Amino acid sequence: MRFLLAFLIAVAASAQPPAPPAQPPSKAPATPEAQAEAAAATPAKADDQAKPAEPAAPAEAGEKTPSPAPSPSEQWITGSVDFGYRRVGEAGNQPSYRGIVNLGSGPKLTGLDFTITDPKHRLFDRIDARANAWGGDPYNTAHIDARKRGVYELRADYRNIAYFNASPSFANPLAPGGFDEQSFDMRRRNGYVDLQLFPGRHFLPFLVFERNSGYGHGVGTWVQDSNDSFAVPMLLRDSANNYRGGFRLEYNRWHVTLEEEGTTYKNDNQASANGANRGDRTTPVLGGTEVLNTLTQTYGVRGSSVYSKVLATASPFSWLDLNGQFLYSEPKTDARYFDIASGNFALLSALLLYGGQYNIGASTTSGNHTLANAGVEIRPFKRLKIVTSFSGNRYKETGVGALTEQIVLKGSTYPALVAALNTPQDVTNNRQQVEAVFDVTGKITLRGGYRYVWGDATVLAGSLDQSGTLASGALQRSVALAGATIRPWRKLSLNVDYEGASTAQDYFRTDLYNYRKVRARAKYQASAALWFQANFALLDNQNPTQGVQYDFRSRDNSLAVFWMPNGGKRISILAEYDRSTLYSNIDFLLLPFFTPTVSSYKENGHTATSTIDLVLPTVAGIVPRLSAGGSLFIAAGSRASRYYQPLGRLSVPFQKHVQWNTEWRWYGYGEQLYQYEGFRAHIFMTGLKLTR
Amino acid sequence: MFGLPVLSTRRQFPRARPSWTRTAGLVGAAMMLAIVGRAQENTGAPASPPPQNKPAEFVGSTTCQMCHEDIFNAFKNNPHHVVETDKKRGFENNACESCHGPGSKHIESLSAADIKQPAKLKPAETDRICLTCHRNQSTQSGRINSGHARNQVSCTACHTIGPHGLVARKPAEVNALCASCHTDVWAAFQKPYRHRLAEGAMSCVDCHNPHGSALPKQIRTTRFNEPGCAKCHGDKVGPFPFEHAPLRLEGCMTCHQPHGSANPRMLIRHEVRFVCMECHSNLPVPNPAANATLGTVGPAIHDLRSPRFQNCTLCHQKVHGSYADRALTK
Repeated sequence: MRFLLAFLIAVAASAQPPAPPAQPPSKAPATPEAQAEAAAATPAKADDQAKPAEPAAPAEAGEKTPSPAPSPSEQWITGSVDFGYRRVGEAGNQPSYRGIVNLGSGPKLTGLDFTITDPKHRLFDRIDARANAWGGDPYNTAHIDARKRGVYELRADYRNIAYFNASPSFANPLAPGGFDEQSFDMRRRNGYVDLQLFPGRHFLPFLVFERNSGYGHGVGTWVQDSNDSFAVPMLLRDSANNYRGGFRLEYNRWHVTLEEEGTTYKNDNQASANGANRGDRTTPVLGGTEVLNTLTQTYGVRGSSVYSKVLATASPFSWLDLNGQFLYSEPKTDARYFDIASGNFALLSALLLYGGQYNIGASTTSGNHTLANAGVEIRPFKRLKIVTSFSGNRYKETGVGALTEQIVLKGSTYPALVAALNTPQDVTNNRQQVEAVFDVTGKITLRGGYRYVWGDATVLAGSLDQSGTLASGALQRSVALAGATIRPWRKLSLNVDYEGASTAQDYFRTDLYNYRKVRARAKYQASAALWFQANFALLDNQNPTQGVQYDFRSRDNSLAVFWMPNGGKRISILAEYDRSTLYSNIDFLLLPFFTPTVSSYKENGHTATSTIDLVLPTVAGIVPRLSAGGSLFIAAGSRASRYYQPLGRLSVPFQKHVQWNTEWRWYGYGEQLYQYEGFRAHIFMTGLKLTR
Repeated sequence: MFGLPVLSTRRQFPRARPSWTRTAGLVGAAMMLAIVGRAQENTGAPASPPPQNKPAEFVGSTTCQMCHEDIFNAFKNNPHHVVETDKKRGFENNACESCHGPGSKHIESLSAADIKQPAKLKPAETDRICLTCHRNQSTQSGRINSGHARNQVSCTACHTIGPHGLVARKPAEVNALCASCHTDVWAAFQKPYRHRLAEGAMSCVDCHNPHGSALPKQIRTTRFNEPGCAKCHGDKVGPFPFEHAPLRLEGCMTCHQPHGSANPRMLIRHEVRFVCMECHSNLPVPNPAANATLGTVGPAIHDLRSPRFQNCTLCHQKVHGSYADRALTK
């Protein structure tokens, strides 16, 4: 989808510049956008960072007021392009490097960011576009926002993310070279186009198209009965298209959104093999060696769904807010499966050796999924707020189909095994909560409440479960909620949250059972240039049930310091340290003798990140900047590992619009147990940033 | 033991009776409180204030311009500039004062104490100002239930209504903003196996809706009612004729740590067999107890002492759900 990048450039090129400004651009004051970028270039104080993640629409977005015309001194296009050449020198395990870092050598377009304003407001008021990491990098992104006030707002986004994962220790931790099954080398591409129209003040229609697809190769497994598994190459192809549209009705006291969506989905994964493959089994079966000679395996899955959404909010009185959502979908998939294999195989249950087999399967699965929630916020007094909410999530599914398994024997026939499928699943989860928030004083706010979570499920039982085809589970949990926000003085704020739960019944052994969760956060601004942020989180979960004996405890402490003397004009420092510990013990049955054993997992991690920005002494009118920092992660415990990512960057602005950037990064990864998976890489990049 | 009163769980948790009555009672009580409260507040006509306590009045944006011309000019490019034409709420030509409050006293005294600065107010007061206009919008629909609202995180903690109308649209900026409070979460993204936030390929708001959501942890929904994970991992959604129950019952976090992990595939354990066997350790019995959990142990052919069986997903590779096999092998 590189056309999007081309489109971005084409738009920039085709936009007509306004009449020449009265003053030369070089003497013109920076536009707000340019100022904004300059401000963003310097690390900003957290509270001052003006970055709403998802900005709320203006109150009267539909109002057709003329957009303010840019002043004559403003440029019709502003932005920057950042490009250069990267050199990667790596050593160690290359699959690990590709799985974790995956940056490559070559020329790169690391960033493109521009804004176009049309002073005559013909087709648009403003277009903001950006693109990052193009030129063979593993994460390409492009985004464009175009808007004309009172008429439309258009957003388009594209991401192309490489997914490489071939960690030997994942497939088999004890094999020196490791098995190669379950490895992937593919790309996932996501994109959307979102058009919002403003035909009136209150009626706001919208149309959205989204696409998500994956394509690539991998190594999977073809499983023969329960005797052996064979690594086979796979071709992976799947995609989903979503089309949705609807409208919003927005008034001062209420709002309703109605939306309809349709989805199509397809999955055409394939696997094939040709040549003797002896599989993962190293011992003979019925006196013979299992061999896979040929395999063709195909999936053909087609899915579709319709979705409906109703969303409403209302404020009938100044002291009462209501909201509710109802989301409904009817997903459906039709699947065709086929595989045919030849070789030397064994069927233990029949003490049979045979030379080929094929499976043909077809199924249709349909479900309906309802997600609904409603909330009420009541403010009976100025100091008191009561919030109650309910949410319900129900998923009901039915699968029907048939699977034929045929063994091919030389000179005789073997009866086909035909299985009719009927696979229901019914899951209901509910959650209800009441909470009161009370301002004790202007500096202390207390919270307290209660949550009840319950549900039930009927699912397919384990395949060899002798107790029946279906299994049932239920969930019943009560949670006490408490919290406080304290601001003893303006520079210090403390926030504490507590949850304590008691569970009567859970779905799974590893679920939260009797737990307490504490989270505390403090922020202290010592001066205008120095502030601290501290976090503490604790989760203690215990399930004393006989045979489970689950004991889980995780703790996380972090401290961050931000120092920007004189507004960061000469130096700014951001440093953060995080200490996390995780401890888990749970009983399980160790096969093949069902021996009660304890599964123990420990992680004792240290994480540190820092960034130091330094303005170097001026040389010949040039003010270079030096940045240094990076992160490190060191973990001891069940998977002891180290991961370092230091970096240094020198920026030299040759001219007002030309900046030379040079960057060095180092990635180092090592594991204590699986030492062959370690790698280290020096990455050197140099390039220019042109701004206008 | 866990900070809760020790109660008989059987008595505390009647199986089939949802706590409708309890909640209805609480809501009813709250409604009564509200009505009484409003009645008390409305009792008696307010006395007219003495002249020196006369409420401040709107002076108009052009008056603000006289001293704050740079802000006034930059504000013309701010999305909030439309408030300048909002007759309905009485903000026409008073856009500055729609957030900062009437400015007549500030004009007289020239003191910062006589004008509202939303970023410096108590969170609830700041929110009240913003929600004057933004209350009934689709972005606010989940705010009532959101963790940010619970924890008194005001709108201006993330949004700036300042002169440049800055918004965090770039993933790296969004992440920096979230990480300024959620430092522990950002630390998880420094682990070797993680989602690609540090690289700027994703942002926190791809998965979470900071304004609130129908799902816990403010997880976004995609395809309306699927967790946001399905937005990129669409092949894991199904519906499958053979589902793996945890996906629907507890979600992806049953097995994965989505922010980052020291373990490959962001798993919660260092080896796959432990992820699987910690749940699949119930003996198959004809009539399981009422409080039995799901997940029966596999048959004895799985000799976990052999490396071949130590990664369950080598054979059970369709662990998220299968179209063809009940044992999730194809």
